[in-house]
Amino acid sequence: MSPVRPDRLLRELAALWVSLGREHQEGDGQGVLRACTMTLFVLADEADDPSAIWETMAALMPDHPARAVLVRLARGTGRALEARVFAQCWLPFGQRRQICCEQIEISASDAALADLPPVILPLAVPDLPVVVWCRCPRTFASPELPRICAAAGKIVVDSRAMGDARAVLPTLAARALAGPALADLAWTGLTRWRELVSRVFENRSYLEGLPGASEVSIAFTGDQPPTPAWYLAAWLEAGLRQAGGAARHRFEPLAGEPAGEIRRVAFRGAGPGISIAFTAAGCAESRTGETVSRMALPPASDYTLLKEELGIPGRDPIYEKTLSAAARLAVS
Amino acid sequence: MENPFQDPLRFPRRVPECAVTIFGANGDLTRRKLAPALYRLFMDRRLPAGFAVVGISRTPMSDDRFREKLRAGVAEFLDGGPFDESVWSAFAQGIFYSHGDIDDSATYARLGARLAGIEQARHTGGNVLFYLSTQPSQYAPAAAGIGAAGLNHGSGWRRLVVEKPFGRDLASARDLSAALQRVFPESEIYRIDHYLGKETVQNILAFRFGNGIFEPLWNRRYVGHVQITAAESIGVEGRGAYYEEAGALRDMIQNHLLQVMATVAMEPSATFRAQSVRDERSKLLRSIRAMEPAAVRENAVAGQYGPASIGGEDVPGYRQEPGVNPASHTETYAALTFFVDNWRWAGVPFYLRTGKRLPKRVTEIAIQFHSAPLAIFDGEANSPNLLILRIQPEEGISLKFLSKRPGQGMTLRPVSMDFNYGSSFGERSPSAYETLLLDALAGDATLYTRQDMVEASWAVVEPIRKAWDEVPTEFPNYAAGTWGPAAADAMLARRGHAWRRP
Repeated sequence: MSPVRPDRLLRELAALWVSLGREHQEGDGQGVLRACTMTLFVLADEADDPSAIWETMAALMPDHPARAVLVRLARGTGRALEARVFAQCWLPFGQRRQICCEQIEISASDAALADLPPVILPLAVPDLPVVVWCRCPRTFASPELPRICAAAGKIVVDSRAMGDARAVLPTLAARALAGPALADLAWTGLTRWRELVSRVFENRSYLEGLPGASEVSIAFTGDQPPTPAWYLAAWLEAGLRQAGGAARHRFEPLAGEPAGEIRRVAFRGAGPGISIAFTAAGCAESRTGETVSRMALPPASDYTLLKEELGIPGRDPIYEKTLSAAARLAVS
Repeated sequence: MENPFQDPLRFPRRVPECAVTIFGANGDLTRRKLAPALYRLFMDRRLPAGFAVVGISRTPMSDDRFREKLRAGVAEFLDGGPFDESVWSAFAQGIFYSHGDIDDSATYARLGARLAGIEQARHTGGNVLFYLSTQPSQYAPAAAGIGAAGLNHGSGWRRLVVEKPFGRDLASARDLSAALQRVFPESEIYRIDHYLGKETVQNILAFRFGNGIFEPLWNRRYVGHVQITAAESIGVEGRGAYYEEAGALRDMIQNHLLQVMATVAMEPSATFRAQSVRDERSKLLRSIRAMEPAAVRENAVAGQYGPASIGGEDVPGYRQEPGVNPASHTETYAALTFFVDNWRWAGVPFYLRTGKRLPKRVTEIAIQFHSAPLAIFDGEANSPNLLILRIQPEEGISLKFLSKRPGQGMTLRPVSMDFNYGSSFGERSPSAYETLLLDALAGDATLYTRQDMVEASWAVVEPIRKAWDEVPTEFPNYAAGTWGPAAADAMLARRGHAWRRP
């Protein structure tokens, strides 16, 4: 039997609020403000550094105050489950009242996965969205995941950690069709690249040349195209088709570390030579004919990627279309 | 053809390459509001790479000197983040200056040449937004100059943004509209009311029309009265000469507060398109009952602050402020009772008040619902529910209702359920000028006022102005640091109501 009971965890949370309220009223007299806009379940491997995950959660809280539940999953056959509750507070700049969010950490073994849904589902804050960040590829493949995610409106994964892109993309596409909204941090990480491409074609003269593009090349580090490269190819081809063009993509593997990073996107035949290239950490260079402009391409972190994803509460139709097209490209 | 690579869910709306031409570029508004807002938009990557600013004013100066002036303004007045020198240097490459008198045709010839050069160099596609940040008397001559030089037409779009005040009365507002419309079509004229750009004023629309539970209560059957307060704790702060001409009625009521009232009371718009939303606002403004002279005496109170000691500091009265006539009859406070003649609001008083040197800076809307029809509890039991939409300084929404006090017996106590904008959404809210400038560049006029709206609000305010001018109130009639003249309290008391203490 599981020693972790959700009603006890909820009582502990309630007691935590009472004590926080007393503590602050006796201190600065301001009390604390509870902020909560969603429940965020994080499914992580035991090997993942929990303090790094909580740091990411802490950074997210001001933008997306949530009840955060970290489930750390250990390989093993023992059906162990443990939990602790705590709160994280911060003082917004210029304000006198602290804002606090609830945090719960649960440790479970893989063998106890089946025991997990009845424990974690009651912990979801009633009537608010539930998001599951599945950091652990092993759990994503588990048959228990649909039960764990029963209340979730959105599941966030990172396909870059899930192995061969050609195999992963069709799996994700099938999941996206069947279950709650799916988000892939590999796609999220392309936002700035896509924004830079879009920005070039805000200029009417370049936009008018777009249907004439004969090829779009995508350069990446490593031997095999990673999922972001497939996503980018599918998205660019769709845009070109929408503009009345028919250009296809070409992948260009490059030497360099780390593998799996996008390094350049170039359009051939679309007016003056148009390319966007990574130049150095945090920078990109956009070339349109003779004109060169430098722009920021800040490195993505779990925090920046999740912050963006949590800002999109429902389905993302552009991602879903791109995922489906990328899956087709990957198996063709 | 639309750019097929846009993704509005992921990256913000982009505006096309364009030039913003600011008339009155050497003035306070440019330094304090416009330049910081444009810099912030540039920093947040909301502006295109080829974006340009052309400043125009009478003082001769070089592009570099103008850039330096703007830089100082941005560094001083930038809101919500540190000034970044590298961002500024990229932004400054698109800043230019051209001097000249607004009445001189050579000014526009020079401007035309400058804009043509910028179009070539920065690929702006001929898109130009003219921003009139001058003295109001120069709006019509500036528009005429633009038209005479043919700058109102080009290879791209041409738009005109006009700052308040839009006229001094109904006739002058109509004259000004006619003068502007000789040069620009009404659809390209953007009359700015920065209150409408405030995030929380926009949130009124989200609150009313994005939720299903409030709108059924939003009518005469459930709402007893509405109070809209825009209080300032400061005085005229060196703007005495301007304020002498304006007064609280023209400065705040005719534009900001009537627009807020229209947003609170308008009918649901069929779509969120500019035309549709503005049609509803306009309809509401036209439904506000104009006051007869006798009604003005009953439903309008003017005030002017006198000297006082606040927190041990002596604060001058309005008549003692620099630039103010020592016998001035300009009101620094106005409290009004309006009625909306439509089925939704018939008989519901809308109390509006605004003033300078009030106890605190606060802008909020309080919707007071009818009390429960039968009081079965003692004590506080008859206290009506109150919904408060706080616009500044701490944006949010509160709902006041009654709750049983713990313990024996049935004692009720009012409690407040609060939503605080800042704690639920950690991200910075854009300033009103950022929102409005971006909207104008994108061609979205939803948050701008239209000629018919301006005229409708002048039609509401003009009889009050006239009555106050004919029978001046004895001033000063409230001490600095208090909530206004006693007559304003009496105005509400006649209907059994009282002002909230925000």
